[in-house]
Order: sequence, then structure tokens, then C-alpha cells
Amino acid sequence: MAYKVFGLTASDQTSLLRIAILGLISIVAVGSRLYSVIRFESVIHEFDPWFNYRTTRYLVDNGFDKFWNWFDETAWYPLGRVVGGTLYPGIMVTSATIYNALHLVNIPVDIRNVCVFLAPAFSALTALATYQLGKEVKNATAGLLAAAFIGVAPGYISRSVAGSYDNEGIAIFLLVFTFFLWLRSVRLGSALYGALTAIFYFYMVSAWGGYVFIINLIPLHVFALLVMGRYSNRLYVAYSTFYVIGTLASMQIPFVGFQPTFTSEHMAALGTFGLIQLVAFASYVRTLVPSDQFRVLIRLSILGLFVVGFGGLVLLTMTKVIAPWTGRFYSLWDTAYAKVHIPIIASVSEHQPTAWPNFFFDLNMLIWLLPAGIYFSFRELSDNHVFLILYSLFAAYFAGVMVRLILTLTPIVCVMAGVAMANVFEIYLDFSKTKSKAEAVKAEDSVMEKKEREIQGELPAAKTIYETAGFKRFYALFPQIVVVANFLYFLCMFQLHCSWITSSAYSSPSVVLASRGPDGSHHIIDDFREAYYWLQMNTKPDAKVLSWWDYGYQLAGMADRTTLVDNNTWNNTHIATVGKILASDEDTAYELARHLDVDYVLVVFGGMLGYSGDDINKFLWMIRIAQGVYPDGFKEEDFYNAAGEYAIGDTASPTMRRSLMHKLCYYRFHEVMGPQGFDRVRKQKLPRDVTLDNFEEAYTTENWMVRIYRVKDLDNYGRSHHAASAFEGPRFKNDFVF
Amino acid sequence: MMRFSFRLLLQALVVLAVALVGIGNGQSLQALQKKANKDKDGLARLDINLFMKHVVSETKDYSVVVQLTALSPKYKCGPCKSIDASLRAVSRGWKNQANKNGRDIVFASLDVEDGEEMFQQMKIDNIPRVMIFPASKGPHAFANPSPREMSLSQRTSSALGMASKLSDLFGIEIKAQVPVDYAKYLMNAASAAAALYALYLVYKHINLRTLGRNVWAIASILFVLLMTSGFMWNRINSPPYMGQTRSGDVILFAPVNNQQYGVETQVVAVSYAVCAMCVVALVRHVPKIQNTDQRTFVTFMFVVALVMTFSYLNSVFRMKMPAYPFRMLLP
Repeated sequence: MAYKVFGLTASDQTSLLRIAILGLISIVAVGSRLYSVIRFESVIHEFDPWFNYRTTRYLVDNGFDKFWNWFDETAWYPLGRVVGGTLYPGIMVTSATIYNALHLVNIPVDIRNVCVFLAPAFSALTALATYQLGKEVKNATAGLLAAAFIGVAPGYISRSVAGSYDNEGIAIFLLVFTFFLWLRSVRLGSALYGALTAIFYFYMVSAWGGYVFIINLIPLHVFALLVMGRYSNRLYVAYSTFYVIGTLASMQIPFVGFQPTFTSEHMAALGTFGLIQLVAFASYVRTLVPSDQFRVLIRLSILGLFVVGFGGLVLLTMTKVIAPWTGRFYSLWDTAYAKVHIPIIASVSEHQPTAWPNFFFDLNMLIWLLPAGIYFSFRELSDNHVFLILYSLFAAYFAGVMVRLILTLTPIVCVMAGVAMANVFEIYLDFSKTKSKAEAVKAEDSVMEKKEREIQGELPAAKTIYETAGFKRFYALFPQIVVVANFLYFLCMFQLHCSWITSSAYSSPSVVLASRGPDGSHHIIDDFREAYYWLQMNTKPDAKVLSWWDYGYQLAGMADRTTLVDNNTWNNTHIATVGKILASDEDTAYELARHLDVDYVLVVFGGMLGYSGDDINKFLWMIRIAQGVYPDGFKEEDFYNAAGEYAIGDTASPTMRRSLMHKLCYYRFHEVMGPQGFDRVRKQKLPRDVTLDNFEEAYTTENWMVRIYRVKDLDNYGRSHHAASAFEGPRFKNDFVF
Repeated sequence: MMRFSFRLLLQALVVLAVALVGIGNGQSLQALQKKANKDKDGLARLDINLFMKHVVSETKDYSVVVQLTALSPKYKCGPCKSIDASLRAVSRGWKNQANKNGRDIVFASLDVEDGEEMFQQMKIDNIPRVMIFPASKGPHAFANPSPREMSLSQRTSSALGMASKLSDLFGIEIKAQVPVDYAKYLMNAASAAAALYALYLVYKHINLRTLGRNVWAIASILFVLLMTSGFMWNRINSPPYMGQTRSGDVILFAPVNNQQYGVETQVVAVSYAVCAMCVVALVRHVPKIQNTDQRTFVTFMFVVALVMTFSYLNSVFRMKMPAYPFRMLLP
């Protein structure tokens, strides 16, 4: 019996409620990503976003054609970088489109704000896409729960807070939406949805390198269905449409180019495309040939095709027609590979394997709802469920190998948790059955009582509470209430957990740091921007600044100066050269720096503040990377002292003490820390006599976090710089001579 | 861990040794080699006298590589055993090496038990360590014959790493002879055979078509449980199975957020599995129970199990991350 409220029928009420709930989820999703803007300011975060921001600005200022053909001579000096051909333009084009659309309707918003708020806006879209996906695989309840989960799950927030203007910010929406369209096209066998899948796949290809996940998972889904004997014309239509349009479209991105035709990462899709044509042909033949002969025929042809296909693949890979797997993908399969062969990948903390607290941190209770969701999917096992299971398995594996890939695991965990939770609520929120049961018991009781009274011929005695109808009904409902209350408690805990994690772990811009004094006062540490603005204001516009690659994008974005290496780590040799300069002694470094036309050297030093992510702690990786390219003259062991420790100061090994990095970081540092000074990160005593002749200190920020040195020009009298400083005498002791 | 001044130790050793000098070199080498030949790996077991006389003496035409160690079980020194095994492999390799190029290198070992006074006197609280006393005269004398210590990194702790490090130092190729671990091969062969037999049994007796879905479901769920409980982290970082406090108590959970012990994966995977099972049971099993009282009881049972397990996970997580503010039923 449905009641009308405001003249709306029950189904209208439901859809209105759904819309309202989705609206609220979107608001929460956007709102919980704004901590960093409220606490700090509307600023671009971290490293890679600065590159995206810079290119977006370029796109908005110069138009698409110029952007597409942009050769950036201020990066990777002196090599330069072809920017248009080496990036995923999706995010820049998206922001520029939004910017232009807003300006078209006379909303004069700054491009920086478009960039800062892009990821939160897309997270609301992700929630909607997840709702659709959940609805597609189960029902609207599951969809709403899944949307609510992904709206706040820290695993996704980690990459989409306001200011983290990175590819992943829009790519997760595209990932989820592409999968939703794919499932729908398989269910309906619709070429329209197949084409839509391909179009969103194209958008995804233009936005993030993670598109490889889609182009391997969808063929895998098709393959699994074929193996399970579930070939259907629907599947054929969906996959053929998707593959043909999607591949042709993806090749329009210059960075991808012809890769879909020859790299191993794309071969699974091509192979499955061929296979499904053969299966389609076979199923046609079956209608014409008697079944016994057909069975023999099919067995022989499968065997033959397997041998030919696999042999061909091996042969083509061996003759290098098909490019072998790239290093990053190797490190996904053979987990020791990166450690041994590619220090530059192993050096990035995002590429480390995942310990269990990370999963709990990022997904909380969803992580144990995932196995339950898999179980329920196996109970039903429609074509859609096969996809969900495959997605779970692969995403779980990749997330286990690399911390950052928890990001791709999060959507499926949310969907699976939504399905599991919806199953629970479907049973335990349905009070109609127990109600009728309780009423039946009540009716039965009253009949019995009547009979008893008739038999005994007595007036009814006063009822005890256990016999009242209300209590009986309560007793019948009580277990349900407990279960529902329990899960509501979990949901509340989950929301608290997510808000806290977001606020405490994922909302720091890392360009600006905050600290709390012992009295609870709030300090903003803004050394990075201070240094970059100093460079912008005080150096000539074409000055070349040498720093470790981590700071390349920020230097280019904030200081607007030429860098030698940056976070686009495409040229290992160049990075190793920079590592070599920083690890060599002063004279070698000077010579190399002059060869490379370097004007300034920038190091990040945390000894004053206790900032542990500084260059001294990264130094071992610089040495390892330099050692990989310049094996002679470099040994990691030389940088450990006799006791085998990685030390600084007077207990350090001589090589360490001579290295440019050590000198640049500790030069004159003891003067500010006093005679008993300690390095607050390493907790070791400071070196006293750090001399520096070939470089001179140009600027040091307030908290000594960034130190900038000028590479001295050649001496006017042709002396070595050592001789010149020996002649001039110690600069700062002169003051006391008089 | 306390460190002592290496230089101080050397000075003290040399002072002690000077008092004992005066024995001919040829004799010294013979005495050491006699000791070495007694051992099957050619690792001379020294006592304090031999050590002072023949190793620390200032002039000698042979080099000595000596480990300071404590192998007796009462010291419970795990690293000592692994360093001992590596040094023995190197020593065995050197003993059996045909072309020694006329070099005299003696591998030796000094145990705490044989030189307790000296260990105490020198305040050596940091073992195992490997020291090298190079030749100071003769055709293979070192330019700088002062004793040195080998830094025991992860690489140099292995037999091959140690051998290559010593090869670099002495300028002659020293090959380690690592004993073949037959037990491991045997184990692997046995488990492979068992797996094959199990496959055969499955093939013979179980109809995969009817069983298929459940087997796949169980396999998938187990896989996902392993992956999401840090199994790959263990594979790559190979942590110890459990931790130990200073007083020797076993602890299951590493007290840091980004580290874990091997056993943690198992505990966490089982907890996840229990939680998931409770949810599944509440959905699939409980509604089928006809008797109302029984159903109520079973429902409560699963709810309690679920809440307690989740609270347990929560409390472990709080322990690993003390700043985490939310607690559930358990502290």
C-alpha cells in the first residue's frame, strides 16, 4: 500500500529520493576535497600538477595548434623537450574547455582556479558513474551505496583533492564510466553503447597512461566469457565495435601513436579481436555442419591456432617487430626487476609494494567487504559479474605490487562493497515479512486465549509484558534492528575514518608545509615558494638552474627558469649526469656544471626543520642512478663510513664529505646552529669546516629548506678558485681581525 | 646500538701484540695453517694467544681475514651464524683454489668463548665483525698495512658478495664455494611431486564441471585476501616472520605504519575472511533458519563475531598508527 506524498506516486518518490541522495553524495564528495584550499589557499600541489598547470596555461594563452606543436627549450637543457608529443593532453584540454566555456558566459574565472577545482568536480562525476555501474550490476541500492563509498574513499581522495591537478583526477571518472558503458553494451549487445565505450576510452587514452588497464581488462573479460562458452552475438557486436573505434581513436594521440599495433601491452586486445572473429565464424559454421564433425573440426583448429598464434607472438617479440614490455610493466610482473635494473623506478616511493596498513588506511571496512562482494558475484555470475571478478583480481594484484595502484582498486572495491552491503540491507531492512509473521502470531495467540478462556470459563488475568502483542512484534524484529544498527555504526565509522584520513594525510599541498608549535600555534612554512620567487625576481630570465629531478616541474612552473632535468624522467643519462655532479667533489662538479652551462645549483635541505624528504636522504638514490650510467669512479659503498653507516658531518666517509651535495647542504650551517648544533633529520653532529670555493651562496630561505648557489664565473686573473680564496683569506673571519 | 671507537681497539690490540712479538714469521704462518687444516673448511679457530701472536703482530708476510663472533647457542646470535656460513664458504673456496698466485691468506675465527677477556677489555659489544689484517712485508705487502674492518652490508654478508669484496681488496680472484642445499632441492621436488599427484587426483575423482564455480570462487577470494593483506610486500621485502621485544617476548605486529612482519599478513587475511564470512552468512545462511529463537541466536552470534573482528583490526591499526583517533569496542 503506497501513500501519495505531494501528489507523487511511490516510484516518483523513490526516484526523487535517489536524485536527492546523489546530489548530497556529490556535495560531500566535493566538500571533503576542499580541506587544503580552506587551510592553505587555492594552490597547485606537489610536483607533476605544476607541469600540467604550466602546460594548461600555455594552451589557454596560445591556442591548441601552438600547444600541440610546442617544443619546450627550457626543460631538459640543453636537449629540450617535445611537449605536445610527449604528454597526455586530456586534462589540459578539459580545463581549457571549461575555462573557455565559463568565459563565453562571462564568468571571468582564473585558469588556476579551474585547475585547482577540476579534480573535486570530477569526483562528483565519478560518484554518478559508480552509481550507474552499481545499478548496472545489481540495483539502485547497490549503486547508491557504491557512489557514497567512492565519494569519500581515501584511496581515491588521495589523488583528487583540490589542487592535485593530475591526470588521475579525471582518469578515474573515465575509467569507471568506460567500464559502465562496456557492461551495458555487453548486456544489450548494442553498437551504440559499444561506440560510446570507445569514445570514452579515447578520452581516457588522452588523459592517463593507465588506459592500458582498460585495453587489457576488457579483452580479458571477452576471453573469459569465450572460455566459459558464453559467446553471444551481443558480445561480438559490443567488442568489435569497441575495439575498432577505440583503437583507431586512441592512435590519434601522438604520445600513443602506432603503439596499439606493435607493443605487447596492446597485443591481448588485438589477439582477442582476432579470436572473437574466429569464434563468430565457427558458430556460423556450426549451423551448417553436423555436430560430431564440428567437434573434431573445432578441436583441431583451436590447437592449430594456439600454436600458430603463440609461436607467432614469440617470434615477433624476439625479432623485435613487437616491442617487448616496457620497464615499468616488467616491474609489475617480476617484482624484483625494478630493484635490480631500474633504480629510477625503484627510487620513487609510489612504486613500492603495499603493506596491509595502507589498504586499511585507504579503504577501511570496504577492504573486507570486497571478498564478500566477490562471493555474491560468483553466486549470480552473469556476464557483468565475470567482469567484476576479473577486475577485482587484477586490481588487487596490482595494488599489492604498487602503492599508487590502490587508486585503480578503489572503484571496484566500492562497487563490490556496495553490492555486499545492498544484499544485507535488502534482507534486514525489509520489515514487511516479519510484520505479517508477528501479526499472524498475534492472531493465533488471541484465538488460543479465547479457547483457553472458553475452556476454563475464567476472566482474562492481567497480561505480563512478555505476552503483549507489542513485545512479540519487537522480539520478532529485534535481530533485524541489531543487524541494521550494526551496519549503520560501521557506515558512520567509515565516514569518520574517511574524513579524518583526508584531513590529516591527503590535504597537504607539499609545496607549502604546516607545522604546529608545542603551544598549538600554527606555522606555515613557505620556503619552496620563497626560493622559487627569489629565482624569478633576481636571476636573468634564461638562467639555468640545476637541481635534482624532483624539483624540475616546480622550478619551471613557479620560478620560470630553465631546468636540466625534471619529473618527466625520460632521459636517464641526463639525470645520472646531474647525480654525478651532485655526488662528485667540488672541482669535478664545477667542470661538469660549466660544461652544461649551469648558472645556479639548488638543493633542498631539511636539517634545520627536521624535514626528512630532503636531498641528503635522497642522495643515495642519486648515487645509485649515477653509478648505473657512470660505473667507473662511482661506488655507493664509498659513501658509507668505516662502520658501514650512511653518516654526515665529521663521522662521514671522506668521499661523502668531499661531495658537492654535502658541501652545499652544510656550508655555514654550523654558524646558525651553534657549536653544539645537530642535524635535526639525521640526529648527528654537524661538520665544522665546510669550505666552498667554486660555488658561492646566492640565497638561503627562511628555514634553510632551499639553498641556492651561484656557479662562479672563471677567475679574472686565471687562477683556480681555490687559489683565489686562499689569497683573499677566509671571508667571514676577516671581520674579527681588526 | 652502542658503537666503540675502532681506532681505539686497533691501538690497544697493537700495544698488546707488541709485547708478544718476537716469534718468527714462518713459524706463525705454519701455526695458523696447522689450525686451519684441522677445520674442514680451512677456517682456523683461534684463541686469544694465537690471535695476539700471529694475527695482530706488526710485521708478517701473510694476510689474515678473521671474524669476531659468538657461535655458542647461549648467545643467540643469529647474524653470527649467517656471517660464519658466508666466511666458511669463502674459506672453503680459497682452500680448494688451485691458483693462489703465491698468496698466503688465512681465514680465521675468534669466538667470544675463546677470548672473553679480550672482548671485555676492548668493550666489543658489536658482533659479528670481519677484520682484515693485511701482510706488511714480503712480495704481497700492502701499501697501507693497517688492519681494516669489512663493512657488513646486505651484499657483503652473502658468501659471493664477501668473496668479491675480498677479491677486490687482495687483487686476486677468490671464489666462494657455497654448499649445495640438497634439502631445499629435495623439498621442492617433493612438493612438486605432491602437487602433480594432487592434480592427478583432482582430475581423476572430481568432476570439474559441477565443482567449477565453487573452486574458482574460493581460489579468487583467497587470492584477493592475500593481495590485500600485504602478501606482495612480504615477497619483495622479506621481513622477519615475527618480532621480538628486548625481553624476548614475541610480538606479532610491527609497531610502524609502513612495515609489517610475515605473520601479520596471515592474521589480517584471516580477520578479513572472518568479517566477509559473517556478512555472507547473514545474507545467505541466517534467513533460511526456520525456528525464530534459533535464528535470533545465530544472527547475534554473527553480528558479535563481525563487530569483534572488525574492532580487533581497528585496535591493531591504532597500535600501528597511534595518531588514529577512532576506537571501536577493543582498546
